Amino acid sequence: MIYTNWVVALAGIIFAIGAIGVMFRRNPLIMFMASEMMWNAAALAFIAFARQFHDMNGQVMAFLIIATAAAEVGIGLALIVSVYHKRHRLDIDEISRLKG
Amino acid sequence: MKASVGLLPEYIVGISILVTMVAAMIRPHGSTLKSWIALIGTLGGLWATIDLWTKPVHPALFFNQSLTVDNYSLFVNVLVLIAAGSTLLLGWSGEREYDEFPVLVLISALGMMSLGMVANLITLFLGIEVLSLPLYVLASSHRNTLGGEAGLKYLLLGAFSSGILLFGLALLYGAAGTMNFVNFASVAHIHSPLLAAGLMLTLVGLLFKLGIVPFHMWIPDVYEGSPTSVTNFMAFGTKVGAAVILLRLLAYGFYMSGPNWGPVLGYLALLTMIVGNLLALPQNDLKRLFGYSGIGHAGFLLIGVAVHTAVGAKAMLFYLLPYGLAVIGAFAILTMMGNKESITIQDLRGMARQKPWAAALFIVFMFSFAGIPLTGGFVGKLYLLQAALFAHQPGLAIGLVLGTFLGLGAYLRPLQAMFRTSPGESNLKGWNVGWGHVVVLVVALIGTVGLGVYPTPVVHLVGQSANFFWLH
Repeated sequence: MIYTNWVVALAGIIFAIGAIGVMFRRNPLIMFMASEMMWNAAALAFIAFARQFHDMNGQVMAFLIIATAAAEVGIGLALIVSVYHKRHRLDIDEISRLKG
Repeated sequence: MKASVGLLPEYIVGISILVTMVAAMIRPHGSTLKSWIALIGTLGGLWATIDLWTKPVHPALFFNQSLTVDNYSLFVNVLVLIAAGSTLLLGWSGEREYDEFPVLVLISALGMMSLGMVANLITLFLGIEVLSLPLYVLASSHRNTLGGEAGLKYLLLGAFSSGILLFGLALLYGAAGTMNFVNFASVAHIHSPLLAAGLMLTLVGLLFKLGIVPFHMWIPDVYEGSPTSVTNFMAFGTKVGAAVILLRLLAYGFYMSGPNWGPVLGYLALLTMIVGNLLALPQNDLKRLFGYSGIGHAGFLLIGVAVHTAVGAKAMLFYLLPYGLAVIGAFAILTMMGNKESITIQDLRGMARQKPWAAALFIVFMFSFAGIPLTGGFVGKLYLLQAALFAHQPGLAIGLVLGTFLGLGAYLRPLQAMFRTSPGESNLKGWNVGWGHVVVLVVALIGTVGLGVYPTPVVHLVGQSANFFWLH
């Protein structure tokens, strides 16, 4: 028997790992991957709750999250590749011509 | 009411996206046909919205209670379509070489329009993403290094904030067992830690998109690195989208637990008004200045949400209009100064002598930003002040006045530069005025001055729009 709380706790841990990854890693590719992890943690939590409530809405949301994440990856990788083409280095601190 | 009637503005914009896409593919590079189709689609959406307003058929729910069409969503449609139309017109000549420009603007506008009528967590998420994804591409459409970096920064922070928002939505779903805002109201008063955590994460995600102070750092960078017409769209459109969804979520689904989230948003609004306008003071780049002033204005908007009254909701919705009109006017002047990488305050030198009409218009829009009487910005700030005082929140009222004075200092610096004579050759070499600029300037000027002198009809419309019956 898998309890909902366990799955949600796992989702929370994955979410925290992703959030820490975005905040502390400096490579845009890794940061992007970590934020995708946060999205997938949310999808996992939606599925866990949908199973608990016997409700289809949560599963629909999980599919939409996967589809949107795919679209975002398409745009994100294209952007990262095009920035890499211009600079030949990938480090978010070096992208500092925009002082921020 | 059938969905084909109630969602006609969205359908028109959706169809014009497809037709624009086809036109961009079949016509040779640089043709204006796609821009024309996109503009006609925008005007068609505007016409359908106004037509729908006069019909007594709303409010209505569509698609298993996931979209609501009411006066609020129709008012948001008007705001978004003004933003999209002005962006198309301002990008008419500058961004003509990018065939994807009108298509992406329209897709993003569709996302903003859907944010006005969200009634369900699924559409909330989809609306935010449909708004954001095209903007990542638009932000990086400068063909130089800076543009790609702005887009990359926007993408990373956008994905991060969407992740926070999504996890918050998941926890809300887990706490309430439902996706619909209407059903949230019945469970939202139960104090559960899951619900509190979910609401907190959701608010953090939405405040990221709106640019409230602890989560504002991406705004100036992205505004500076994007093409000017795209910055115009971000400054007006995304602010409208994020502000209206925040109001809809809190005033629709969580109106019972107002005492829990109201003070938090109030403190954030106070912080944002002061910090945003303070940081706008030393800026030299005009797009960065508008970025920071946009942060300050987001703080003003947040007052209307935080006070949690019908007066506050109306004041917030009203303030979006004069703010947006001043934005499109000011950015029209910036795009007229040519396709420069960045426009600094020094570039404005001697403008008052060489281009007196443009300088006069710029002064009007700056005064509206600053909230000088006889402009729309003043009336908007007055209503927000009234909302804060009616809700017995003198701290917010004091913060608003203080923020306005700080902002006044920031807006006077470019005006002062305009009256300085420039040594040597003119800074206004790349000056070009297209018919698109003229149209945008006329609309913005009539709107700004009209709202300042005779705001009654618009106040009446806003009163009908933000009429959430449980607020008082």
